[in-house]
Amino acid sequence: MDPVIHVTGAGVVSAVGCGRGETLDALRRGLSGIGPVRFLRTEEKAFPVGEVKLSNGEMAARSGASPDLPRTSLLGILALGEALAGAGLRDLSGIPLVGGTTVGGMDLTEQTFPAYSRMHDCGASTDAIAAHFGGAPWATTLSTACSSAANAIIFGANLIRSGQAEIVAVGGSESLSDYHLHGFGSLMILDPAPCRPFDATRAGLNLGEGAAFLILESEASRKRRGVPSQAVLSGFGNACDAFHQTASSDSGEGAFLAMRKALGMAGLQPADIDYVNAHGTGTPNNDASESAALRRVFGDRIPPVSSTKAFTGHTTSASGSIEAVFCLLALQEGFIPANLNWTTPDPACITPAAGGPARLRHILCNAFGFGGNDSSLLFSR
Amino acid sequence: MMRSVYVNARCELKPGNPEPDYRSLFSVLEARRMGRLLKRAVWTSSQALEKAGIAVPDAVIIGTDFGCIENSESFLKALKGIDDAPLRPTHFMQSTHNTIASLIAIRLGAHGYNATYSHRGRSFESALQDARTQIALGDIDTALVGWFDELTPALSESLLSQGIEPKEHALAVVLSANPEGAVCELSF
Repeated sequence: MDPVIHVTGAGVVSAVGCGRGETLDALRRGLSGIGPVRFLRTEEKAFPVGEVKLSNGEMAARSGASPDLPRTSLLGILALGEALAGAGLRDLSGIPLVGGTTVGGMDLTEQTFPAYSRMHDCGASTDAIAAHFGGAPWATTLSTACSSAANAIIFGANLIRSGQAEIVAVGGSESLSDYHLHGFGSLMILDPAPCRPFDATRAGLNLGEGAAFLILESEASRKRRGVPSQAVLSGFGNACDAFHQTASSDSGEGAFLAMRKALGMAGLQPADIDYVNAHGTGTPNNDASESAALRRVFGDRIPPVSSTKAFTGHTTSASGSIEAVFCLLALQEGFIPANLNWTTPDPACITPAAGGPARLRHILCNAFGFGGNDSSLLFSR
Repeated sequence: MMRSVYVNARCELKPGNPEPDYRSLFSVLEARRMGRLLKRAVWTSSQALEKAGIAVPDAVIIGTDFGCIENSESFLKALKGIDDAPLRPTHFMQSTHNTIASLIAIRLGAHGYNATYSHRGRSFESALQDARTQIALGDIDTALVGWFDELTPALSESLLSQGIEPKEHALAVVLSANPEGAVCELSF
């Protein structure tokens, strides 16, 4: 892909920790953040969740933001703060913010309904993140369900490719809500036990929450500012399964097309990929469909694949950027995160990697959403 | 070298316009399952594509300020016990903002780029910017771009209390790199 797009900053918060250090430690040691509901106001306690282990008040105290903001914004502020600092930036001056969320301020509206929170909509949640740092010329929000953050990264990259921006802040943020906990429950795709991506006994996903933002920057801007490149976004693909409003096709058409597009854009062959961070939610349907797509892309030479959903739960709209940061850590530190909780092979699924040290050069990171909104990002060292 | 981008067709249902005859597009069963917003979205999209002479666009990009808010409210009412209805998975499924772009893609068999922007006051502008950028870059040749919103009494009340005029949107446009018969050029 020309011009080169660098990642010059990254920030992350999820059930496994706040910031790069805690996240890296948990990923390396195989420590899951999934457990019983502690912070979410809900009567539904049957399902384990991947909560960020901070109350809204604690997050507000850390960042100096108002505790009355949607939790989605509070999570996003923590993650973007780390990303900006890492890139040597004080605020968003001249930097568009492209966020991704679906829950937005639903955590507030579900407390006050039939009255809406003034911060109900997705845009309000992103605007609050932008306002906290100040200086952004504009902000917008992708809402493609569970691939929202991945698509925010793609749109931001296209702003740089087309010369509309030199630096963009991109990513996603999503808090748990009683609304979507019951929503996923109504679809019967929540597992009452910890999720087991790609395992024959998998019975659904665990919902999670969190946020991650990346600072993407053109080569010219990075050189001028004298900041190091953490990785290169060498390709991406967005495709639509166009099959069903929530289920994925048996052939994994959307996922297949997204991965193929990313490879094509990067000018790489399937054999060049050293690791795939799978979407791997733990639902019978997703994991079989994604496995079919992986087999179509890679044939019988499938690279190490793992899903990190058993660490964080499915962080829905934020998963694309949270797992993108996991991929950056894997590239920089030379390891593959384990696919926790996998024990029993399923002929319909790929066999996930055990995890451990590895020399990595090119990583594919998948994020798929309801509605067949499938995206794949390719990060290179 | 960035390519020029053109608006090849548009179709809009303005507030007060009579509801179109959907029978040519949906079976009775389909029409019953689908909310008014989804029906309007599919109808304006198919009209705009037909005018542009494009069967399947390379991209489907939708802007919606508030998403399928009627379905969200139905699910919220059941969740909060405001009415006695059970939690219906269909209401949840069709309350995610991207359900509009997804439904259009399913009906068209459109496997290309698909995205939804939801950013109050900027949703449609962002969708246009995304389509225009990708056509200019040469990544795609054609895009269906839409702006769809519905209103409920509760949402209208919330917006009015914030000094925002509540508005419905049902607008579909077709963009491409082809100037032939174009309505206008979109400039950066």
